[in-house]
Amino acid sequence: MRKTVPVIVAFLSGFVMVVSFFFNPERTFIGGGQEAVLQWVTIVSGFTLVLGVFSIVRVNARAVARRSKGWFYKLLTVVSVFAMAIPAMLPVSKNTVGGKIFFGIFPDNWGTLFGTGPSSIYDWLFTYVDQPMMETMFAMLAFFIASAAYRAFRARNAEATLLLLTAVLVMLWRVPMGEAFLRLFSDSFPQYINMFVMNGFNVAVQRGIIIGAALGAASMSLRIMLGIERTYMGKG
Amino acid sequence: MDFWHRIMNIDRRWIYLLIAISVTFPMIVVMKFPVRVTPETRQLYDAINNLPDGSVVMLTFDYYPNAAAETEPMSVAALRHMFKKNMKVVTLSNIPLGGPTIAERITREIAAEYHKVYGVDYVNLGYKANYNAVMHGLANSIESIFPSDYTNTPLKDLPLMDSVRNYNDIKFIFVVADNATVDYWIQIVNAQYGVPVGAGVTAVVAPKMYSFVDAGQMTGMLGGMKGAAEYEKLVGHEGKAMRGMDAQSLAHLMIILLVIVGNIGFFVTRKKDSEKS
Repeated sequence: MRKTVPVIVAFLSGFVMVVSFFFNPERTFIGGGQEAVLQWVTIVSGFTLVLGVFSIVRVNARAVARRSKGWFYKLLTVVSVFAMAIPAMLPVSKNTVGGKIFFGIFPDNWGTLFGTGPSSIYDWLFTYVDQPMMETMFAMLAFFIASAAYRAFRARNAEATLLLLTAVLVMLWRVPMGEAFLRLFSDSFPQYINMFVMNGFNVAVQRGIIIGAALGAASMSLRIMLGIERTYMGKG
Repeated sequence: MDFWHRIMNIDRRWIYLLIAISVTFPMIVVMKFPVRVTPETRQLYDAINNLPDGSVVMLTFDYYPNAAAETEPMSVAALRHMFKKNMKVVTLSNIPLGGPTIAERITREIAAEYHKVYGVDYVNLGYKANYNAVMHGLANSIESIFPSDYTNTPLKDLPLMDSVRNYNDIKFIFVVADNATVDYWIQIVNAQYGVPVGAGVTAVVAPKMYSFVDAGQMTGMLGGMKGAAEYEKLVGHEGKAMRGMDAQSLAHLMIILLVIVGNIGFFVTRKKDSEKS
């Protein structure tokens, strides 16, 4: 039962999506099936977020309770989740039932602090804590990439040399100073890089990868619909 | 240990210092090398520019805050272009963190510059989970997926949304993304519903997008901060991307120099080591 029901649901969802694609949604019943399935998917996706919060709290709370290594950071993770989520979910006005109850207890002007709009707690935390931290983490990549390029980018053989030369040309082409340098050799040099490297070799390789991935996705979808692939249930 | 062996085993903190200098130096000395517009950027600009004034366009903020240095200037330049042409702009995000908040902040800032009114000239739909389902669902009814906007105002209270029911009412979709959502905008929305899609993407994502532009599935593309700078140039408003070009130029140059030095050191030390042995 625990295996059969998910397989039936997966098959029916996939089947409706595939079949309804070929029918007019306004004139036929089956054509409208796609919208119904998609609305279900959106609702279920919303529940997965709740499940995600539940999971992160459970895993981290256990580590905090046991005082295991790095428990303080795990505590911060849980506190951060709720610090962002709770003010964002609280009512901002009396227009809802929850809002009428909430603002019957608390002052009306607290409404600006809640929700996700400008001047809310969520917005402040995002703008002044979350965004700078994420940008800092990403900016640090520049240092690691430079160090890695210095130590690992070697012309050891013909293939590596070709890759190295192409990378250097593209890096020069992608910045105004490098482009100005390339134009010293020929005014059309940057244009040739765009034409032959990016729109030539690059497109050929990318198409191969995209077509391969699409075929893989199609076969995987078929395997899931037919119940051959069951790893999404957490078992092989 | 001779010079080249020392160079090869240099403390990585010296490399970090060189990169830090090359990024901060342009903040003191402005170099301003000319930015040339690539055909892909020109194509995207023309696609927006050739739409009739007052057209409804969709602008997506499908990026996390960590990519904002590359993508935010694209969104800003696109909004300036759209508002300059009196277009009606519907924004949304397929990313839970970053996109919706950045959309709210930037759109209100730029709209104020052009005296645009929320709900009449622009609307921020916010975020809904599962972008695959969202993209399909918007084809039938925007209101069925987004019953209310980012600040929980019902769509029926926003005059702009009276005339925007689904993709049929949207003339162009300008996707700004740092991830694979742009693939789905092309594969689902362009391929299945026929809405023209153009995109501004991070430099990492850009190489993949060339194949879609080449096939005509995507109408133009902005690649990385350089693409954003090119769009700023076309719109005629110098922004963060143009100012960032000097720092990016020097950082690229520094990495190229490091690669060259690293390779010289590699060959010299290899030769010396083989002579010794």
